[in-house]
Amino acid sequence: MNEFCVLVVDDEDEFREMTSKILTKRGLIVMSAESGEKALEILEHKRIDVVLLDVKMPGMDGIETLRQIRSLKPLVEVLLLTGHASVESGIEGMKLGAFDYLMKPIETDPLLEKLEEAYEKKRLHQEKIDQALLKKHMSMPL
Amino acid sequence: MQRIFTLLKQRLFGQSRPSMSSEELRTDFTRRYAHFRNLLTANNNALQAMAELEKVYYGGGSYRMAFVRSKISTILINVYKMISDILAMSDGKYADLETTFEKISNELDKIVARKHDFVQGPLILTLDKVRRSDRDQAGEKMANLGEINALQGIVVPLGFVITASATRHFLTTEHIAEINRLLQVFDSEDLDDLYKTCEEMQKIVMDAPLPPDLEELLHAHFNRLETESHSASRVAMRSSALGEDTAGVSFAGLYSTFLNVEKHEIGDLYKKVIASKYGPRAIAYRRMRGYRHEDIEMCVGCLVMVDALVSGVIYSRDPGEQESEVMRINATAGIARGVVDGTTVTDLFLVGREKPFPVVFSEIRQSQDSGKEQLSGSASLTYSQIRKLAETALQLEIHFGQPQDVEWSYDHQGVLYILQSRPIAATPAGTKEKSRSMQKVAVPGESVEKPLLFGGISASGGIASGEVFLVDSDKDMREFPRGAVLVLRHPLPEWAPLLGRATAVIAENGTEAGHLATVAREFGIPALFSLPGAMSVLTSGQTITVNSSGRAIYQGRREELLRQNVAKRDIMAGSPVQRIVTEALQYITPLNLNDPTSSHFRSNWCETLHDITRFCHEKSVSEMFNYGKEHRFDKGTAKRLVGEVPLEWWVIDLADGFRQGLDSGSKMVRIEDIVSLPMQAIWRGISAFPWEGPPPISARGFGEIIFQSTMRPDLDPSVASNMATKNYFLISKNFCNLSVRLGYHYAMIEAYLSDLLTESYVTFRFKGGAADMRRKAVRARLLADILKRYDFRVELRSDALLARVKKQPVEYLEQRLEILGYLITHSRQLDMVMTQPHAVEQYREKFLKDIEEMLSLKESTIGESVHE
Repeated sequence: MNEFCVLVVDDEDEFREMTSKILTKRGLIVMSAESGEKALEILEHKRIDVVLLDVKMPGMDGIETLRQIRSLKPLVEVLLLTGHASVESGIEGMKLGAFDYLMKPIETDPLLEKLEEAYEKKRLHQEKIDQALLKKHMSMPL
Repeated sequence: MQRIFTLLKQRLFGQSRPSMSSEELRTDFTRRYAHFRNLLTANNNALQAMAELEKVYYGGGSYRMAFVRSKISTILINVYKMISDILAMSDGKYADLETTFEKISNELDKIVARKHDFVQGPLILTLDKVRRSDRDQAGEKMANLGEINALQGIVVPLGFVITASATRHFLTTEHIAEINRLLQVFDSEDLDDLYKTCEEMQKIVMDAPLPPDLEELLHAHFNRLETESHSASRVAMRSSALGEDTAGVSFAGLYSTFLNVEKHEIGDLYKKVIASKYGPRAIAYRRMRGYRHEDIEMCVGCLVMVDALVSGVIYSRDPGEQESEVMRINATAGIARGVVDGTTVTDLFLVGREKPFPVVFSEIRQSQDSGKEQLSGSASLTYSQIRKLAETALQLEIHFGQPQDVEWSYDHQGVLYILQSRPIAATPAGTKEKSRSMQKVAVPGESVEKPLLFGGISASGGIASGEVFLVDSDKDMREFPRGAVLVLRHPLPEWAPLLGRATAVIAENGTEAGHLATVAREFGIPALFSLPGAMSVLTSGQTITVNSSGRAIYQGRREELLRQNVAKRDIMAGSPVQRIVTEALQYITPLNLNDPTSSHFRSNWCETLHDITRFCHEKSVSEMFNYGKEHRFDKGTAKRLVGEVPLEWWVIDLADGFRQGLDSGSKMVRIEDIVSLPMQAIWRGISAFPWEGPPPISARGFGEIIFQSTMRPDLDPSVASNMATKNYFLISKNFCNLSVRLGYHYAMIEAYLSDLLTESYVTFRFKGGAADMRRKAVRARLLADILKRYDFRVELRSDALLARVKKQPVEYLEQRLEILGYLITHSRQLDMVMTQPHAVEQYREKFLKDIEEMLSLKESTIGESVHE
């Protein structure tokens, strides 16, 4: 499996720590943040491929965080996660360009599968951009 | 001539889009194909969630709001994905789906997130001011007691109610939010977790400070009671919940009641009663019966303690029996608590409901038990006390309009106090019957007769009887008689209109998640799916009894089974959660778009999420299907199929249709270089039998063809137009689109073969050919007949034929492709002979014989003969 970097964002300590542990064990590079603000700070400085983002958080909620991530790092894929969000926030998240939406509690394998899919999408997207850039550079006179 | 040719091309291939290079084509195909797959996955997920929601709703079991919310979210998100995918596949056609979706999701959000409107009122109401209309403030129990208080000749204790407004004053939004959080995260299946969570929630309530103004009011009213009752310095504090307004939902004994409460305890015990709303039993019960915690609000009644000599409960009709003509009294010395709890031995009296209320049965258990001295005859109640109780119970029954369960006390002065009156929680009708029938149903062998068929998937439960009617075509559909049992091969949504007329549905395929299953549940008719052999074992006109719950079909009308078909008692009936689901389902499951050929099968006719999924699914298939039709490709990039190959065949690889390592620069490809499953299957059909030359034709037939050929040079086999000679395969490993012109006709085969049944399909279109319209129609009909024999769904409009099979295993579809390969190759012979009816028959027989022979051969043998 490809190694990629996941940022787990959830205000619930127990969930954040458990998930980080499990994903690390499965060979991913995992970082975590307990709030939307903290997540944005990490994204600013570190290379993150996929964000696993809880919708319901005190302070900056998941939807707002998603909005900011999309404008800050449009290439990063975001997987929304919730236990008890309103029906609306799911659609809202998808409209804002979340990769997908998962319901808590979630089992490891489906989560891993979704994370990989999200990473694959990001990778292909990145590749396309790289190729386009390459083409552009090649066609430019020296 | 060129103009005619262009016109024809447009008719056959639709509006031409600009030509694409093979690389562009491949990219475009890959992109569409990814959307197609996503759409199918989302479709499955949405339908699955709909089925799950309906299953709990119609299942009569219990379900939670969290479940409902999560299913509705899943449905919405997946439908949203489907819309995004279909828009991407169709270059933005059907944009009005977004508007419809927006509307529906707003409505659903309103339904799911709906809150009660609470009116702020006084913190305390005195009981003599309370009536039934005050239940929003006083809660059910105290509102009833206030109502009773106003009745002539009935006495209730003095008291007051700490209202719902007071509760909201006491528990702030922060407290509620914290409780909500705890409620939402805990695992209801885990008892330890339940108890732990309840403890935490109750602690939140107990730790919340009593607002000073409320505390002051409590004491003031306590003092007032003391003055008015002259004696009492103690009260009973009783829960009076608000929102328990459903008959048959008792909520009995879930919340705390405190007796002999003294003034200094009142504040603390008030909190304890409020906290009892979050007790484990209360939470479990509410969840089971479909109440959210926000549906229930606690009020507390404070009643002066009655100095009870004897207390108990009277039922105005004995609840142990249906339509009982006796009342039941349970009585015990002292206060009534033990009677209600069921912890104390009580005296039992059964009393006639008519004056003079004779005691028809009594069992005096108190005196033996306690050994206490009892009044006359050692019974706890005298006859005149019994009569007064019976009169009062009847008065309450008449006042409230239904049998009552009444708590009472006689004090030492002989005054009868009514402490509570509520409707009797009805025992479900036919409970015994049901459990018996369940047993019988579960063991079909126990019946006198063996079932005709047994097994399958119960897609909609129930038992029904009627005459079988097999439906396999549109004609059958029109002839379907009212009240018949609908028997199908595939439970396709197209058959849905019949469910209004059918008494039951049986299908050889399908599951509980399909569209038709949904509709069957909506109509409440039994549906038994995935029952192989149903179409052959059952014959039209035969009378059968379908027991879908027991997954069995019996010969004849089985009265004893039908009698067992008692309506299930719905544990959630009338509950707030059920009301929410009832309303929400209106926007989700009804299917209005049944018929893809109808002029109403349009995006702006979608009214529900089910409609949208149906529409998107249908359109996604046709977007994929039309791929080869609507996309012109640069023919220079195609590879020519070489080897022992008749005619010219060209292959364009869209994704992974060639074996690895094939020289991509080569202009040629051999059949063994191709790994596309559907193309291989078609090719086996094409090459299974050697080509025969055109048969001799009648003079008239020949003249006709000559005439047609002069009109349309592209149809003349001797004039090599590029369309007439080149046949194109567009392939990937699982996909193949073949457009072919053999002789005079145009045919297209498209297939996607996958292990996922729902996304597999084979489609065949056939049109045109030389000769006049009548002969074309005869030929198309012959092909249609043959294809129907092999389970294709066929649509025929004059000479245009559309045949489809979908949702079948790969091997099955491969055989269908072989058949199509055979037919497109050999039907060209028909062009010349279609005027001779006997010749048509001859060909029909020959074709069927060949096909049978071809299918009976081992695939490998055919494969080898192709390679040689």
